[in-house]
Amino acid sequence: MSTPVPSSIEKPRYVAPPPLVYIEPSGKSNRDLPAQIDFDWLRQAYQHMSLIRALDKKAVALQRTGQMRTYPSCLGQEAVGIGTGMAMMDADVYVPYYRDQATLYLRGVQLKQILQLWGGDERGHLFDGAAKKDLPICVPIATQLTQAAGAAVALKSKGVKGAVVTSCGDGATSRGDFYEALNVAGLWQLPLVTVINNNQWAISVPRQMQSGTPTLAQKAVAAGIEGIQVDGNDVVAVFDAVNHALQKARSGKGPTLIEAITYRLGDHTTADDATRYRSASEVSDAWQREPIKRLQTWLHDHDAWDATREQSLHGEIKQQIERAVADYLAIEPAPVDDILRYQYADMTPALEQQRTWLLQRHGG
Amino acid sequence: MKYFKLPDLGEGLQEAEIVEWHIAQGDEVSEDQTILSVETAKAIVDLPAPQAGKIVKLFGQPGDIVHVGDPLLEYDAESDDSGTVVGEMSGPSDDNAVQEDDFIIGSAHDDADVPAPVRERSVFSGGTPLKGVQRVMAKNMSRAHAEVVSVSIHDDVDIHAWQSGEDPTMRLVRAIAAACLAEPGLNTWYDGERMAVKQHEHIDLGIAVDTPDGLFVPVLRDIAGRDRADLRKGLNALREAVNTRKIPPEEMRGATITLSNFGTMAGRYANPVIVPPMVAILGAGKIRRQAVATDDGIEAHRVLPLSLSFDHRCVSGGEAARFLAAVMKDLGQP
Repeated sequence: MSTPVPSSIEKPRYVAPPPLVYIEPSGKSNRDLPAQIDFDWLRQAYQHMSLIRALDKKAVALQRTGQMRTYPSCLGQEAVGIGTGMAMMDADVYVPYYRDQATLYLRGVQLKQILQLWGGDERGHLFDGAAKKDLPICVPIATQLTQAAGAAVALKSKGVKGAVVTSCGDGATSRGDFYEALNVAGLWQLPLVTVINNNQWAISVPRQMQSGTPTLAQKAVAAGIEGIQVDGNDVVAVFDAVNHALQKARSGKGPTLIEAITYRLGDHTTADDATRYRSASEVSDAWQREPIKRLQTWLHDHDAWDATREQSLHGEIKQQIERAVADYLAIEPAPVDDILRYQYADMTPALEQQRTWLLQRHGG
Repeated sequence: MKYFKLPDLGEGLQEAEIVEWHIAQGDEVSEDQTILSVETAKAIVDLPAPQAGKIVKLFGQPGDIVHVGDPLLEYDAESDDSGTVVGEMSGPSDDNAVQEDDFIIGSAHDDADVPAPVRERSVFSGGTPLKGVQRVMAKNMSRAHAEVVSVSIHDDVDIHAWQSGEDPTMRLVRAIAAACLAEPGLNTWYDGERMAVKQHEHIDLGIAVDTPDGLFVPVLRDIAGRDRADLRKGLNALREAVNTRKIPPEEMRGATITLSNFGTMAGRYANPVIVPPMVAILGAGKIRRQAVATDDGIEAHRVLPLSLSFDHRCVSGGEAARFLAAVMKDLGQP
């Protein structure tokens, strides 16, 4: 077992500023919201987050009834994904990891496809819309970060105006890939925005046992790039930081690392049981800071939301989810030879032979 | 009729134990309402209703083990067959397909080649199904009995030279480490199917721990490479984890040899059972005083009875006897 870094170590010289927050956990705001944020924007963010939470809940229920494979819940982290997605433009490129359902949805990926992906059907990755040039979700930890840096090199060398956005968990920041990606991004001033979904848990490893650094954002300092820490449960703060980083990246002013502080309210995946390694009180405490409730309170306090709107939103969401689930369950299984079809443009004789055998044995 | 059958709740889990029903026969349930909690090898999981409807029958009581594909409940419905989850009942599931990858005491990391245990027909109806570690023990013992060619040798070691307050368990750990270095052939795994032996570099000692729930065998890693204080600390932590049931499955996998210190309770000799793919287990009986003829006459010395079982398919009697001699030589020292 590893142990937390002893508190007796010398204090680092770099002291990170407090995390950026506009809407506090209580639903109050102690500062003016950014200029481009209006009621419509906030209501949209609220609706998107509510939809993703409902999708997430349904996906877990589908897994529990044998209609879905292992699924990583994003419960409690909706603001990270929605705030990021709302700041992105079509010209940008998104390089997601496995807990990025919310951003994928805003990139134009259908809810049905998100279910299809986690249902074990890779055809869910045939993204359309803005997501058409985005990368597939990455399950290995942190490998997407170097790929994202590579994509940023491509954009830069082609002179494309967009930027690359990628994301990872807090655990990924301990991997070599994380530092490698950050290093080239800083060295070559790549148009790259890296968002850390710091949900405090890397499966069963808590944040304080993950790294001795006081903040993950300050890992940017060593790479010579800007690091920003935001309240990841405040969709406005996430949006503001990502928007700032994207504008910077698109105008050739280099990369940014954003640490969004949030909490994984669910299990790591449906194959995990978090009650075995963390306390109920920690989780109930985290529920006090979750992203949807605070935005709802803010909207209510500003007369921008009411019970009628809430009710009709829930009706719409229910229909949307029901349709997505029905569409997902109606998808015909992939043909058996799909397993061989995506490795070469032209199949090798050996693969062709296997394909013939497969089709004979399991039908076309 | 429509049935909801147990799905695979993890990644390749084959069975689950019913913990609690949250509904009763005759209830109307709504879609996604929590109906049942089950415990798999990995987690306690709440199962939602796959669809709304009236429940006419629940299969199984708390404590029952259900296999993937077994029915959990039956909906009141005419004939609709809507897929794998809520579908028509098929024939009995293929019991021989059951593979237990988790919680197999002392099993290898990769035991995919191990043949399925021989399954017997029940000779009486009813009874309480074994669960948890008891169930694991039953399966492992059946497999060991069917597979291993076990031979046991017994001896007493004179421990008169020990300091007072000496810790027998730690001495046994040390002695096994010394004997494995002397006779590495007993610190191996054997695959009977392929007739292949795998020599281990490290000695990872499975230590049998008795609990009210049954037998646990946590693994004390690398007993030759760690000092005594570290090993004692490690053993205490394992015992604590077992006693509080916080022990993760991986802490009970991968043992290369086993110690059963049953003498802390009673018993002199035994024929301890070797759990494949391991090839040896050392049993330690109750320490007693015995009259010993010395150069100075008859003296009362403390002796520790030992029982070594080895798998004669891949370990020779000579190797085993030399191993036991090495154990005794180390234990005989002050």
